[in-house]
Amino acid sequence: MILISFDIDGTLVVGDPPGILEVDLVRAAKNQGLLVGSCSDRPISAQRALWKQHGIEVDFTVSKHMLADVKAQFEAAVYYHVGDREDLDKRPAERAGFEFLWPHEALEMPWLSRGSCGAATKQR
Amino acid sequence: MSTPTAPYSMYRPKEGLGPWEHRGKVAAVGIGHSPTARRWDGRPEHSVGGISLMALRRAIEDAGVAADQIDGLVMDPVTTTGAYWPQGKPIPNDMLAVFKATDDPLDGIAKLSADWILNNMPELTNVRFTMYGPGCMSNAICVAAQAVGDGLTHTCLVLKSWHNFAGRYYQGGANAGNAIPGSAALRALWGTPACYGTALQFAEYCRKYGKHHDMMAPFIENSRNNGLKFPEGYWAQHRPEQITAEDYKAARWIAKPANLFDNDLPIMVSAAYLYTTAERARDMTQKPVYILNHALSDGRPRSLTPTLDEVEAETARTARKIYEGAGICAADLSFENMYDGFPQFHQFHIEGLGYRGLQFGDALDFYQGDIGIHGPNPILPSGGNIGCGRSRFWMHTDCIQQLQGRAGARQVTGVKPEVAVSGGPMPLGGHFTVWSATPD
Amino acid sequence: MAKQGVVPDDLTRPFWEAANDERLVIQNCAVCNRLQHPPARRCHQCGSNAHLEWKQMCGRATVYNYGVVHDCPIRLLQEDQPFNVAVVMLEEDPGIQMYSHLPGTPVDAVPVGARVEVIFEATANGQKVPEWRVVHSAGSNR
Repeated sequence: MILISFDIDGTLVVGDPPGILEVDLVRAAKNQGLLVGSCSDRPISAQRALWKQHGIEVDFTVSKHMLADVKAQFEAAVYYHVGDREDLDKRPAERAGFEFLWPHEALEMPWLSRGSCGAATKQR
Repeated sequence: MSTPTAPYSMYRPKEGLGPWEHRGKVAAVGIGHSPTARRWDGRPEHSVGGISLMALRRAIEDAGVAADQIDGLVMDPVTTTGAYWPQGKPIPNDMLAVFKATDDPLDGIAKLSADWILNNMPELTNVRFTMYGPGCMSNAICVAAQAVGDGLTHTCLVLKSWHNFAGRYYQGGANAGNAIPGSAALRALWGTPACYGTALQFAEYCRKYGKHHDMMAPFIENSRNNGLKFPEGYWAQHRPEQITAEDYKAARWIAKPANLFDNDLPIMVSAAYLYTTAERARDMTQKPVYILNHALSDGRPRSLTPTLDEVEAETARTARKIYEGAGICAADLSFENMYDGFPQFHQFHIEGLGYRGLQFGDALDFYQGDIGIHGPNPILPSGGNIGCGRSRFWMHTDCIQQLQGRAGARQVTGVKPEVAVSGGPMPLGGHFTVWSATPD
Repeated sequence: MAKQGVVPDDLTRPFWEAANDERLVIQNCAVCNRLQHPPARRCHQCGSNAHLEWKQMCGRATVYNYGVVHDCPIRLLQEDQPFNVAVVMLEEDPGIQMYSHLPGTPVDAVPVGARVEVIFEATANGQKVPEWRVVHSAGSNR
């Protein structure tokens, strides 16, 4: 099982500023069975509204400092966070035990670009 | 044209000055706002100079005056509190092609002079008076009010603009270096973010009065709700997101006890107002909003950061100056629009004012009641910086619009909009204006 | 914590030179007998610049207040986030404040009102800076 957390602003094309990752990539990851969610400085209610607007049922929506909580809540073989900031994404992600990917690196990951993944979501 | 900074003699810094000599004889009439943006996109017309021209022209049009009737310009030449033009980065050629530059290559990009404005607004053929009121619109409008009252200018534009560039605020310049000058080091070595001083005061406030951080949630919710009804604001224009109590409580800390939503968002925006004499204002397009007083807080802390005692003494002193010069008392206020950037000092302002009978330590309990625009106790109907983005002028625009009856969805309905107060920024160090729907 | 280096300027040079000697000095107006910090060109009380001097402090203070910095603008300090920044009040005059990271005190466990004593830390360029450490009473296990 792979869990992937997406930053929004500067990472996704719907961010402010826009990043390079299409929302459809998130949808595809979800459809492949990955555990998917967002970890952003946007209000949690706004994150939920964004995913609802795009018709994606994500597994989690958390604030930037809550990746450790995500890791505690979901069991996965590997945890990724994709973001665009050294200080606000990479450093806290690594502290929380996530592997960090810049958006262009995420595009090269097989599970995001064409993907295959394990079984359904398992919540602890 | 050489533009001086306003002399200290133009301000009203003391108690005991009596009613302002120009009380009700100066009016704000026109309002002009540029669109907002998160950061400069590099297009000349969206530069801080470009958006300033837009705001100024909209204010002139809104007031219904001819450009050649304008004889004054008061503005702030500083357009940032922490976004830096990278050293050595070339000035975009487009900028030089579209606008008439001054000797300073960053003029119109990372700062703004009166000369730059006049160079690029050839329609302003009769401006004879220019003056700087540095810091924020709160300062500039006090200077403009005094200048109009004193007869230095009769029909005066007041301008405040903000730039923002790529990258995080405050992270460039000396903060990125390995060494800093000794004077700055006495504070900066410890790495405190901008909200730290206010967070400290808030922490002391909570300890003294038995309050806690989460009691700010209704204030933040109210501010964003009001801001989303402010079509000129950033959040209304770009990201119509509420901040719920749950959102607020879940936000990450910046400098505990200040979290992310206890801080505002830096943006690019410009606003301009047209000030004139009460007599001349009667013939203009919009209803005049009269200035009853302006006041200066120039208190300073004894040492590195203000203590709660210093804050409370100064806000009470400021309130006495505000009321004395305007000839009003707290009960006369229809609503308040004191500054909120940072939200954790808003309660200092309104407790000092004694708004709705508040005493020190009362405000956070007051926030738990009805503080909305349709109730009897409106708090910050503009939404302020939390509701609209960092500009430090939403509260002034809102006071004018509310008293003119054109605040739209934000219009207060639980009170009759007759007299209001706005100003800031800091509890120690700010400029304040009393507005009225009538001259007396 | 890796603080930025300091380049003493005219106004603050005596403060920094004393720090390198592990002494804490604060600017004082000899006429008003009033300390002021940060130092200034003139006495904030009498306005004179003729009687400003540097006075050695005993190096004891009390924790007045604190915040916990989670998002620091100084690049060198970002690795150490979150960290305490306390305000201490000097024993000679509680109106005089200094900042401190309170080395040795756990994050967000700052004892407001506790006694502290000055120590001196080297910054990135070797310039020493006054810091403060909580004084534990006998029998304390912290």
